[in-house]
Amino acid sequence: MLDFLNQIFPLAIAASIPIMITAIGGLFSERSGVVNIGLEGLMLVGAFTSSITIHYFDQAGNNNEYVVWIAILLAGIVSGLFAILHAYASVSLKANQVISGTAINMLATALTIFFARFLTRSQNISLLNRADRYQKIPILSDIPLIGNWLFTDIYITSFFVLLLCGIAWFIIFKTTHGLRLRSCGEYPQAADSAGINVVKLRYQAVIISGILSGFGGAIYIVTIAGEFNGSVNGFGFLALGALIFGKWKPLNIVFATFFFGFMSTFASLSFVNEVISSFRIPYQFYNALPYVMTLFALVIFSRNASAPMALGEPYDAGKR
Amino acid sequence: MRKLFALFSVFVLFTVLTACGPKLDYDKGTFTGPYCDDLDVFADAKKAAIGMVTDSGTIDDKSFNQGTWEGIQCYNAKHTSAVKYLQPSGETKEDYINAIDNLVDAGYKMIVAPGFKFENAIFEAQTTHEDIKFIIIDGAPHSGNYVPDIKSNTVSVMFAEEQVGFLAGVAAALQTETGKVAFVGGMEIPAVQKFGWGYVAGVAYANDTYDLNVVVTDYLYQGTFTEVTAGQTIAAGMYDEGIDIIFAAAGGVGVGVINEAKTRTEAGEEVWVIGVDSDQYDAGKYGTAGKSVILTSAMKRVDLAAYNYSGALATNSFVGGKQVTYDIKNDGVGLPANNPNLAADTLTKVDTVVAAMKADTIVAPNTKEKLTTYLTSKGYVTPGTITY
Repeated sequence: MLDFLNQIFPLAIAASIPIMITAIGGLFSERSGVVNIGLEGLMLVGAFTSSITIHYFDQAGNNNEYVVWIAILLAGIVSGLFAILHAYASVSLKANQVISGTAINMLATALTIFFARFLTRSQNISLLNRADRYQKIPILSDIPLIGNWLFTDIYITSFFVLLLCGIAWFIIFKTTHGLRLRSCGEYPQAADSAGINVVKLRYQAVIISGILSGFGGAIYIVTIAGEFNGSVNGFGFLALGALIFGKWKPLNIVFATFFFGFMSTFASLSFVNEVISSFRIPYQFYNALPYVMTLFALVIFSRNASAPMALGEPYDAGKR
Repeated sequence: MRKLFALFSVFVLFTVLTACGPKLDYDKGTFTGPYCDDLDVFADAKKAAIGMVTDSGTIDDKSFNQGTWEGIQCYNAKHTSAVKYLQPSGETKEDYINAIDNLVDAGYKMIVAPGFKFENAIFEAQTTHEDIKFIIIDGAPHSGNYVPDIKSNTVSVMFAEEQVGFLAGVAAALQTETGKVAFVGGMEIPAVQKFGWGYVAGVAYANDTYDLNVVVTDYLYQGTFTEVTAGQTIAAGMYDEGIDIIFAAAGGVGVGVINEAKTRTEAGEEVWVIGVDSDQYDAGKYGTAGKSVILTSAMKRVDLAAYNYSGALATNSFVGGKQVTYDIKNDGVGLPANNPNLAADTLTKVDTVVAAMKADTIVAPNTKEKLTTYLTSKGYVTPGTITY
């Protein structure tokens, strides 16, 4: 049993990290009052940008460790720029945010495939450079239980994401800027009367959500997929789910994404585990398991879920 | 109302004008694939117009669509013809039929459809377009009841996956260091199942013939062709158990398996993946030394089928109304010509098996029942947790 847990934990962390950072990105946007259904599309842009960057380094025969980081950084920048489209439509033009987000998703799918084919003549970009995975972190991996769970077979990018999650929590709940951000999502008119520039803050928040989703897409590529093929497998939508499941709170989101990652890893490993596969339960059951469990968890935990009050409403200074 | 009518008549006029007299560009293409050079040129081939509809996925999916299209392109490189592919707007029967109709309207005389998903669409199209030839790969047209109904203008091309699965099994058994190998399938459909059955039989054969003791300790279907993450997780679990070779016949799930193998190989472990459908050597490359985690690949030569039937159309020798099987005897299935990761000894032994298959002295089992009988005859004991 313990062996099984030791096996699940590192893989579950790897699987939940891209969803986690994307959900934190969504948190910024939604806390400022802008619904961001476009997370999937923003992730896809990040996934593509990182793939094409690494592709060019691969072709130049560059195998340095920094290649992956350059790719992740660029992915964040490009996705951040792409998110401006969503900000422009939903903040400046006061368009319906759900529709704008959907448009982002569709546009991202089309554009990434178009550019992938245009630049590499193929929609599949296989990568040689990928993130390093550390089999054992010295000293830390010797801690009982936690050592095996957190510091074995871990990608360096995972620490980066956990650090970002911590920073996000700090910014949103411990700084003046965070308070202003939250006030924009709760009661923008009041925030405005207190001298806060709602439009500017919302723009910032949406761009940050783009940057973090871009990181998410890039990390998905360099850890899990190893190949770009025009999709991030619905991870962006899972992030959106985790955001709601996590009640728009950073710590809860981290646990929500980990819960989902854990369940889906458990499901996949059940195929392989000797004890569990000897029960001879059809594989469809295991494939459905993460979704069913998430549904249950949602029902149990989301009773007091409170979305930001002004979520989804374009800011209208004249409205009371 | 009048406005609407005017609009409608303009639309009709436009359609009529653009639809009248399809004009095709007969253009000799250039294509240099690794295999294209070896194919024979058809003498006195007339100009052919060959269309193709892609399955779910794109033209460069490194699998069925790409293979089929490469066969057609190769034909076009050797013979002047008009070729075109269309990607349907969706995955329903109507989307497929629309794409087929568009190609027919444009003047293409033969439509190649790679994949079992076309079964219903081709069933309808073969009746509506009687003067058009249809090639369906990996499936047979039926009305929804799974009883094949192949009209005289249609050929259904099937592959003997169990034979190449068998070869992969022999190669895996000879190459494994730990004595444990595994099979990961995508959806549980006949084409995937036959790969798996042949694979286990191949391992059993190698055990019996070369006095080995290799076991397929994991044999499973993930259930999709898309779950990359699940592929990686499953592969991690398998490699942790000491399995060192995984045969992944699973599309996107296989991508995850390959990625896990790369990560482990870079960390110093020695693990391998056997690719499927096309030569996946390039997909398994890691680092800058050009090495790959792909041990070998169980190839289905869809390109060969597309090439041959393009020639049949051009030389008026097309004979429809039947199902043909591409197998080891007509080079329709097999391992790649180059296998840098297989030992010389393994290659020799695999060649012996190929020769024996061609002489019918080895018959790879292509049903679950035949597999069970075969395994018993070879004295292979299936681990208790596995169902084939």
